[in-house]
Amino acid sequence: MNRSRFIEGPAGSGKTTAAIEHVHALLRDGVPAEQILILVPARSLGTPFQRAQATPDWPPGAPLDVVTLGGLARRGIELFWPLIARRAGFRDPLREPRFLTLETAQYYMNRLVAEQIRSGVYDSISVRRSQIIRQTLDNLAKAAVNGFTLEEVEARLITAWGDRHSSRPPVYRASVDLARRFRALCQENNLLDFSYQIDLYARHLLREPQYRAWFAGQYRHLVADNLEENVPVVADFIRWAWDALDTALLVYDRDAGYRVFLGADPSGMAELADLCQEVEHREPAGVSETPLNALSSTLAALLDGARVDESEPSIEPGLALSVQTHRFFPQMVDGVVDEIAALVEAGTPPGEIAVLAPLLGDSLRFELIDRLEERGIRAVSHRPSRALRDEPAARAMLTLMTLAYPDWGIHPPVLDVADALQQVIEPLDPIRAWLLAQIVYRPGSGSLGSFDVIKPGMQERISYRSGEQYERLRSWLLAFSEDAPTSPPDHFLSRLFGEVLSQPGFGFHADLEAGRVIAELVESARKFRQVLHPDGADDWREPTREYYTLVQEGLLAAQYLSSWQMEQQDAVFLAPAYTFLMRNRVVDHQFWLDVGSSVWWERLEQPLTHPYVLARSYPADQIWTDDLEFYARRDALRRLVLGLVRRCRERVHLAVCNLGESGYEQRGPLLQIIQRLLQPQASEGDV
Amino acid sequence: MAVERTRTAWLSQFVFSQSSLQDFADCERRFQLRYVEAQPWPAVQSEPLLERELHAERGDRFHRLVHRHQVGIELSELAPYAAGDPDLAAWWDAYLSFVDLHRLPGQRLPEFSLVTELEGVRLVAKYDLLVLEPAGGAVIFDWKTYHTRPPRAWFESRLQTRVYPYVLARAGRNLPGGPRDASSIRMLYWLPAFPADPVEFVYSQDRFEQDEAALSALLSQIRQRLAVTSSTAITATWPLTPDERRCRFCEYRSLCARGDVAGIAVDEVIDSDFDSSSLLGLSDVEEVGF
Ligand code: SF4
Repeated sequence: MNRSRFIEGPAGSGKTTAAIEHVHALLRDGVPAEQILILVPARSLGTPFQRAQATPDWPPGAPLDVVTLGGLARRGIELFWPLIARRAGFRDPLREPRFLTLETAQYYMNRLVAEQIRSGVYDSISVRRSQIIRQTLDNLAKAAVNGFTLEEVEARLITAWGDRHSSRPPVYRASVDLARRFRALCQENNLLDFSYQIDLYARHLLREPQYRAWFAGQYRHLVADNLEENVPVVADFIRWAWDALDTALLVYDRDAGYRVFLGADPSGMAELADLCQEVEHREPAGVSETPLNALSSTLAALLDGARVDESEPSIEPGLALSVQTHRFFPQMVDGVVDEIAALVEAGTPPGEIAVLAPLLGDSLRFELIDRLEERGIRAVSHRPSRALRDEPAARAMLTLMTLAYPDWGIHPPVLDVADALQQVIEPLDPIRAWLLAQIVYRPGSGSLGSFDVIKPGMQERISYRSGEQYERLRSWLLAFSEDAPTSPPDHFLSRLFGEVLSQPGFGFHADLEAGRVIAELVESARKFRQVLHPDGADDWREPTREYYTLVQEGLLAAQYLSSWQMEQQDAVFLAPAYTFLMRNRVVDHQFWLDVGSSVWWERLEQPLTHPYVLARSYPADQIWTDDLEFYARRDALRRLVLGLVRRCRERVHLAVCNLGESGYEQRGPLLQIIQRLLQPQASEGDV
Repeated sequence: MAVERTRTAWLSQFVFSQSSLQDFADCERRFQLRYVEAQPWPAVQSEPLLERELHAERGDRFHRLVHRHQVGIELSELAPYAAGDPDLAAWWDAYLSFVDLHRLPGQRLPEFSLVTELEGVRLVAKYDLLVLEPAGGAVIFDWKTYHTRPPRAWFESRLQTRVYPYVLARAGRNLPGGPRDASSIRMLYWLPAFPADPVEFVYSQDRFEQDEAALSALLSQIRQRLAVTSSTAITATWPLTPDERRCRFCEYRSLCARGDVAGIAVDEVIDSDFDSSSLLGLSDVEEVGF
């Protein structure tokens, strides 16, 4: 290794800029871009590198290889599969592997979980089927990224539970057993979910001499950014690659580590500094010279348990804060919207404003978007996912699907049929749609009658134009029954959309949003078919029904606008606070909603898994105590709050709502800290 | 001003490729919908869906086998992966008998990309295989797994035939052995179903200059389109192709009111191999999200 460097510092200290400059310098020195590997924990964190190579002075050549470990693993497995398939124990090593997405992995696990649920093993906890599946996949992922066996996962969970009530250990065992059976199914069918990809990569491919030789010939330079968000197996990978590299630059944010829930291991990654010839500590430019810097250092000190007078701010930190207090939630929303409108009026671009909450429920999201739009201010929202079946356009497609497959015996209620007709037949309003559905639809048989036999007066009331379109749709659905055995579900949905519902005069004709939603539905159906029925089917009606059931069970998630599209819009950004942090975006103004709520301090309830216990740095024989929970939460709050403040340029606007949804006064830990900061004389809480 | 920001941001993020430029050349509206607005439209592109997909998958498997061979995996390890599918096995045999390739000396860069700047935007070429000859020459290989062999004139008209050698001539500065002269570049379309009948184009400085002018003109046209769009409304409709035959194989046909049922074509020769990875170019697998 000619040069290895470790840069550490908080957000805003220029670490990523230094990494980009390092890459640029390598390219100027004649290093081919394809020899540089840029490793990031999540695709969104690779954006600065992608942007950098779009600048005019960036040299021509190969595009930068900006990749996550998951990406590297998948590529490696795909290419070198013949070398590892047999040794890794796959039943049919001469067949290509199939890569599962989170969604398609859920389909498979869904087939295995039913029997367990029936046995009642999960009855002691209140958990839905989709949560069992997701948390079990999470246990598999935690095992993979930490290099644990499933036996170790089980032992850690049970040990950490200690001697609290005895119903939980069987639940942990059941989840790990489900994981084992899922893994066996994958091995039997050459299926690779995220965890199996990482496992195969770490346990097999990295030990394959031909892969090592290929890797050494391919990459000579490594840049690993946001190491603190990465998982232990990445540290193993870096150590594996180390000796073959000419240069390495490792970048670490000492105050971040927001992906602990996904297996990130900030403390383990910090140890990589020991490998490096140079270690550089950075501070934010102009530290403590602005109210925001004073705010972040004071908050850090308070969250570390210091008293206000010990935190010595050089500038009044309250200057970077504004606080509005309301009694009820709707008033708080009004207050936030008013303040945003005033900012925009005074010249702040909407894209420089972020509205953040620990969780962002649908009703709050829609209310904020509507209220802002009433004031002529665009807003975009990002939530990780929501069930596809909750999207109206998808619901309409699913209702029509049941009508196209009457032999399933699933007969939707009249209300659903009316809703679907109203959406897809352009001139129909809700009342006429209801009338039409009531007349033509027979819920007993799930069939649709003809418009032509309706009494003329009623035809007129519904309108002949609507009737014409209804007949076109009905004929198409009837004719489809001929094709149903040979049409997989994605084909049905695509044809129905393209041949009828998006034709001129129909409801989805120029409905771009419906196009987006239905495209996701079609894509999910296509993946379902390709992964669960790779060899086709003699008759597609039954697999289509299985797909329909999965959607109804909420196992399919709708994706929202891609990050690229989101960031192009000059719009107020609404997001859960952690999502905002993982975008690594800086804005002028942040609004923190409902800071009195204790949700800012809580972590996701996950009774089948445990992010802290399933971590390499956590002692395998340690019980998870209330004290540990307290310190973990305090640490998470500290990282969250500092991360947010450091991604703000002008001001943090706090919105407090005295009464929570349950009607009780709210005084969560974040609010207590803020009160101590603003009124040093106030009595100190227990955080 | 917001629209202007959006347009500038789009141009700075987007990486043009032969397929996106081909889309613009075929139909400006399609380019707008696919790339500028990234508007998904889930109608069937062409029928029969399952056969077409099977054919595309077989093509992918062929590309992957060649890639594996080019990175040095033993033939004995690879052969079983081609067996079992007569078409694929025949293609693989043809590849193994492709002596002009196997005897060609030089460094091999399989599945290799290069990016260059032109008219202030980025242009990418993704080569199936690039061979850098010791004497300074470079040969671009592109595998086309078509059932039919289009005439040479068809290949000649494709933007891929311009973009690939042009980008290599411009962006090959840091390649092993240094930059490549336009006159030292050859491009070869090789069709495993017609192994004895490849289509070769020898590049030249003249051709480089013509291509630069043609590509620049195309990019300026796109810039102008974006400028006009942004001065009115971001959703203003770009011109629809006058050749309505193209619409039979385009998923937007219902949005454009250009028909309802998809055309029939198993090969992609009718083609638009839409390149969904153009934005930002990240090619990772999905990751567990928050
Ligand atoms: S349907 Fe025709 S006009 Fe519309 S985008 Fe496609 S090719 Fe262009």
